[in-house]
Amino acid sequence: MKNTAFVFLRLTAMAAIALVSVFPIYWMVMSSFRTHEEIFKYATLSPELFLPVKWTLQNYRDIFLDPSKPFGRYMLNTLLVAVVVTTLGLIVNALSAFAFAKLRFPFKRLLLTIFLSSLVIPYEVIMVPQYLLMRDFGWINSYSALIVPQIVWVFGIFMLIQFFSDVPRDILEAARIDGSGWTRIFAKIVLPTAVPALITLGLMTFLNQWDSFLWPLVVINEEKKQVIQVAISSFQSLRNISWGKILAATSISSVPILVVFLFLQKYYVQGITMSGVKG
Amino acid sequence: MRKSAYAAFDKQESRAALLFIAPAFVLLAVFIFYPMFRALLISFQNFNLISAQASFAGFANYGKLLQDEAFGASLWHSFYFTIIVLPVQTAISLGLALLVQKKFRGVGFFRTVYFLPVVVSFAIASTVFRLIYNKDYGMLNIILKGIGLPALDFLSNPDISMLGIIALCIWRAMGFVMVIFLAGLNNIPESLYEAAHVDGAGAWQRFFLITLPLLKRTMAFVVIITTMDALKIFIPIYITTSGGPAGSTSTVVHFIYETAFKQMNMGYAAAAAFLFFFLVLIVSIVQLRLFRTDVEY
Repeated sequence: MKNTAFVFLRLTAMAAIALVSVFPIYWMVMSSFRTHEEIFKYATLSPELFLPVKWTLQNYRDIFLDPSKPFGRYMLNTLLVAVVVTTLGLIVNALSAFAFAKLRFPFKRLLLTIFLSSLVIPYEVIMVPQYLLMRDFGWINSYSALIVPQIVWVFGIFMLIQFFSDVPRDILEAARIDGSGWTRIFAKIVLPTAVPALITLGLMTFLNQWDSFLWPLVVINEEKKQVIQVAISSFQSLRNISWGKILAATSISSVPILVVFLFLQKYYVQGITMSGVKG
Repeated sequence: MRKSAYAAFDKQESRAALLFIAPAFVLLAVFIFYPMFRALLISFQNFNLISAQASFAGFANYGKLLQDEAFGASLWHSFYFTIIVLPVQTAISLGLALLVQKKFRGVGFFRTVYFLPVVVSFAIASTVFRLIYNKDYGMLNIILKGIGLPALDFLSNPDISMLGIIALCIWRAMGFVMVIFLAGLNNIPESLYEAAHVDGAGAWQRFFLITLPLLKRTMAFVVIITTMDALKIFIPIYITTSGGPAGSTSTVVHFIYETAFKQMNMGYAAAAAFLFFFLVLIVSIVQLRLFRTDVEY
């Protein structure tokens, strides 16, 4: 008897928390399908609050067709930056992780220490000089500023080192004696074994870039080159903008990510636990 | 003959290794280490991008910061935010992890649902919460009024505006921390619980005598990263309140951002960033000491 009551209580609590977790997301998506009038019409508790009465796609049409705030362009900008950073990042970080994990070379310890020591430098401290550097390079308002400084990710290298160290050195040596060069060994033997780790890292990099806010806010001032997160935040500083448009913008930029996450959830969670348990 | 072949192999190996490391090393040097070094230099300069002149200032920036009330207030807001977020978020996340730790039908669903907010970007979550918090049309206040509670004006009442931001941050981060706790919980051997059960330990005893002590390493990790992230809070501040009302939510990173990119006062901003960096470092070191553990299992 006592046990059933406990199980019931526990399920109720779990359901309540689940509701709190999804409700803002649900509200965001539902409101994006409402007309402008409808959003401000229902200001008391009623069933109309939870489902649109007159479904409309007008908000989506508006944000994509507004030439002064080209939302489609923002999404493409962000996608471009995220894809390039993820690809280059995987190559650069995996290469150096492989060297640190498996190869013998002078000053290995020292180099690894230097790499890892960068982990304590908080981004906020180097933000100002990084911005000045971008000015010196003439990269303000260019995608290079969004891409190049973001490629190397020491945390990612650290994660891959742990992964690569499980590859037995015997296999590598055997391939070496058969006459393969190290680049070939890396591409043909090491990379294929690390696919799950690469997916994890790729997913984390992509999401970081998709969500990136402070750095684009600082280095991109040109309307057309902006990324979505900053663009969305600038939507609401405009007076008189309809909530429907803001919420259409937030929905369209987070729902695809949420769907991708549902499929690749395993890899994402693995990334977190690897950083948490081993780190 | 053999020996020299090996030597050639070794040489090729080192050359390959250094070549593999080179791109990452160059990027790291140019975009992380050089800026770090330059930040230190700038912090000792009068360096304003508007007047476009830099002159040596000694410790003037640091001295001025120590007397700057806006900086002091932003420091306090960051720490206040952290002091509330740290225990509340950690407790909620651990609770969630315990709720979904045992395998039962539908557990995967709950885990996924609790984790969903993590995937929503900080900027989007802040934007949506800003609308939910709206005094007249926001969902939160409609619900509060609907069940007969007074409305809360998170966005323009300085007394509670920080609490609104705290709620939003916890909503977004609890699933993330839950996953870390889940991994920690799964590392605790089941046999310990069985033994405790045989010895007649109740649920609370098992939690305080087995779970918590053996979770110490995970806990240390959670506490340290939560503290660091909380002290550096910026995006929700920038989006929901821009530091207001009446400066009541301006945090350190917000202060640094405003100083550097609104007033273009780079030297002063760099000095503030460095001071803040040292404070964070000290806090982390103290926390590491406190959590130093002898428990092995």
